[in-house]
Amino acid sequence: MNLSLVDPFVLAQDYPESTTGSLRSGHATCVRFNRKGDFLAAGRVDGTVVIFDVETNGVARKLKGHTRQVQSLSWSRDGRYLLTSSQDWKCNIWDLQDGSILRSVRFEAPIYIGELHPWNHFKFVVALYDDQPLVVDATDREAIKMTLPSAPKRTRYDEDEPISDKQAAQDAKQNTTVVVFTASGEHVLSGTNKGWLNIIEVATRTTLYSTKICTGVVIYLRLTSSGRDVVLNASDRVIRTIQLPNLTAADLDPDTIDMEVEHKFQDVVNRLSWNHVCFSSTGEYVTASTYNNHDIYIWERNHGSLVKILEGPKEEHGVVEWHPHRPLIAACGLETGRIHIWSIVPQQRWSALAPDFVEVEENVEYIEHEDEFDIHPQEEIHKRRLDLEDEDIDVLTVEPVKGSIVEEENPFRMPVQLDLMDSEGEEEFIAIGRGEMRRKSPTDGRDYTLEGDAAVGSGDDARKRTKKRR
Amino acid sequence: MSDFDSPVDTPQPTSHRRTKKRSRYDDSEVSTPRDSSPDELADPRDHQQYRSSRQSVGQRDSAPRRRAHSSDGSLDELDDTYHERHERRRDHSNRSSPETPDSSHSSPRALSPPSYRSLKLNYRCKFKLKGHKKGVAQVRFSPDGRWIASCSADGTIKVWDAANGKHMRTLEGHLAGVSTIAWSSDSNTIASGSDDKTIRLWHRATGKAYPAPLTGHHNYVYSLAFSPKGNMLVSGSYDEAVFLWDLRQRRLMRSLPAHSDPVGGVDFIKDGTLVCSCSTDGLIRVWDTATGQCLRTLVHEDNPPVTTVRFSPNGRYILAFTLDSCVRLWDYVSGTVKKTYQGHINKKYSLGGAFGVHGSDGFIVAGSEDGDILFWDVKTKEVAQRVSKAHEGVVCWVDTTSGSDATIVSGGLDGTVKIWVNVPEDHESNDINGVRSEREDGIDADMVDVKIEEGDGYDDTPRDDRSLDGRIHDSPSSPVPDMMDED
Repeated sequence: MNLSLVDPFVLAQDYPESTTGSLRSGHATCVRFNRKGDFLAAGRVDGTVVIFDVETNGVARKLKGHTRQVQSLSWSRDGRYLLTSSQDWKCNIWDLQDGSILRSVRFEAPIYIGELHPWNHFKFVVALYDDQPLVVDATDREAIKMTLPSAPKRTRYDEDEPISDKQAAQDAKQNTTVVVFTASGEHVLSGTNKGWLNIIEVATRTTLYSTKICTGVVIYLRLTSSGRDVVLNASDRVIRTIQLPNLTAADLDPDTIDMEVEHKFQDVVNRLSWNHVCFSSTGEYVTASTYNNHDIYIWERNHGSLVKILEGPKEEHGVVEWHPHRPLIAACGLETGRIHIWSIVPQQRWSALAPDFVEVEENVEYIEHEDEFDIHPQEEIHKRRLDLEDEDIDVLTVEPVKGSIVEEENPFRMPVQLDLMDSEGEEEFIAIGRGEMRRKSPTDGRDYTLEGDAAVGSGDDARKRTKKRR
Repeated sequence: MSDFDSPVDTPQPTSHRRTKKRSRYDDSEVSTPRDSSPDELADPRDHQQYRSSRQSVGQRDSAPRRRAHSSDGSLDELDDTYHERHERRRDHSNRSSPETPDSSHSSPRALSPPSYRSLKLNYRCKFKLKGHKKGVAQVRFSPDGRWIASCSADGTIKVWDAANGKHMRTLEGHLAGVSTIAWSSDSNTIASGSDDKTIRLWHRATGKAYPAPLTGHHNYVYSLAFSPKGNMLVSGSYDEAVFLWDLRQRRLMRSLPAHSDPVGGVDFIKDGTLVCSCSTDGLIRVWDTATGQCLRTLVHEDNPPVTTVRFSPNGRYILAFTLDSCVRLWDYVSGTVKKTYQGHINKKYSLGGAFGVHGSDGFIVAGSEDGDILFWDVKTKEVAQRVSKAHEGVVCWVDTTSGSDATIVSGGLDGTVKIWVNVPEDHESNDINGVRSEREDGIDADMVDVKIEEGDGYDDTPRDDRSLDGRIHDSPSSPVPDMMDED
């Protein structure tokens, strides 16, 4: 309700300008805003998930249940449930009403990413290391896991002939590295280590459409809030934005689907690779954190041009997140585990400090009104004033604000914990984290091992990097 | 406090604050009718009393529990003064003060234009809650409408059941008078601001204070409001600052360089994006919660000191109480006054009121320094009801429940809290204005009762509610069957 008072020039500013602060609680590796944008979940190296209140920059809740680094986070639509996947091979669904674990699902392999269904908080997809991706339905305590295909769909032309051995061997090498639900939840988008992008129908678990989008590993996929566009980060140092076809159309013919890359964002001069990408709140901008570099890049999608390079703390950033409706970007520092925030620095308009102040561009010659300095008796002024107050006013009806999220019947409101005290020492991780992260380079993969975790330590470089960066 | 002896007619920030605190029942006052004039209330004697009361609060800590047993529990008693029997009116015609516009005293029907169906209200006192030793500064309904919290210059906060008027809890811990209270939106937490410069948070169900009060203000904390989500608190203080607190971390989040005079009132808008504050410097400022920027300043031409501000239920307007006996409804976007409500007296005290709903119409209710409570139709500015002599002396604060046909609660300098309900007129045989004077006798008898209760065993030392509960059960003569009702 502050929009009517805020400077329109400030409102017109739709991407951040400078660093405005940072959040810290342990060593954060991944962050995600909820749909309303009032909370920011952060997963830490020690497996703890911290929920920050974006309004107060304070910790609203701590969720303890994972024993290893948190790999990815996903909020439910109403903001009540949070899916966390961790390097302890488990996914937890948390109920933020009381901070309890609603469901905990264990997998047979390390998890790249887990994404919640947009409408059903018991359903999610996971991409697993060296395994087929799964759709998990955890409505009952015993979660039902259903395998999704990784192999690309062959065209009809190919189907006429029997699949050659070479082709079959190639398909077997296809591994899904990232999965995400489409806006309706009826389809899953997946990216593979061979650069394929697949659209999989969840109900039949068949691939509707496949396209070879790039040559490298697909590192990350992210949809806009409307679900019409997808941004894809790949190991070939190019960020692609793609418009999705309307998959919910009644007369959808999978064979007519055609997906074309809309924009390719890359730094041809420095040949930068990108750690993580994200859409802006409206999808008009794309932001990315850079590998081995401190800057955060912002491109706009109309013309596909670079609009801003955000400078900040001298630190490489991993996960980058754009606030769902404000020009605010949060990114995790890889070295310190601090969450850095870029936003707009507000300027106090001095004309707001007194009602008769007006900000003018140039000097205005004052012209006296006809009766401006006439002297009237006090009572008459008073009476005249009161007589003017004949307007019909309504103090009760709430006018809907344009563009805001329409509140559901019973919007979830996370209880405020007033007895939450930060008792444990958060600083212990700085030393450990800093020491390790300094040594870390893109080629040696994980340079710290946790006991019994040896299986993750092998595999080809690109895949490890994918995992690490996320 | 140097301006203490200055003429009281000019509203002085300190004098109005101090007099609000005071409502001590000393022996002389017990035997005399309590309709003392405002001037008398501000006399220097009051200062000493205020001081001494502070000292007694300090002494109380040394021997707190001993006196608890001497109490017979009558102080938290409720009087069921339902309906017409205790409708009070005394010397009504004589007491209409000269500065009050005469329109307010006439029948609401006579004023209304024929085209508009005038809002008619018929609020009657349902319960009278006694227990506070001194004047009640604020009373607030919990957002779910189940509880009433009242705070007093005696340093305590009391929680009452709104449905039956039972006393639930007495929250003790402040070292000086409590000027302001606020409920969190889940109705589980009460924040209180005191003259001891601290803000405390209380758990409603247990009556326990959360550890570590919010400290930071350099002077009396005078107004509080929770953010709708309950994660922030805004406080206004006599140190002229407005503070935003992060409640989870009990941390001062933002200090708003607000005013050049004591801050009288603060409020949060319903979606939490704006905060408004007001001061005796005559300014009302609107702030952006997220950035701490001042977005708008509202000043009336006559620059009267503003003591209380409230956002309208839909957040479009700001209701401001000023010491020129006016309540103004501001459109803060355009920066203009939309309505001015008059008819009450408000020259010295921080009076507070609220928006209420009757059917589909909105009304505004506020107290007056002559002891009346007034209800205004929001649209026509007409007085929809005037409850004469609702309290003995100043009616400091009135609050409403949010639903239609709101219940009203009022607190006054006489130390009592009263719950009012609207009784549709067709349920009564009498016209509003017709027969009220006939009911005076009942009132007087009632007031005598009060005095007797105050005379013996008037005690409010700290004590465990459970022991109080047990005592009440043991005592067959107690008129209250069960005062402890754990939720």
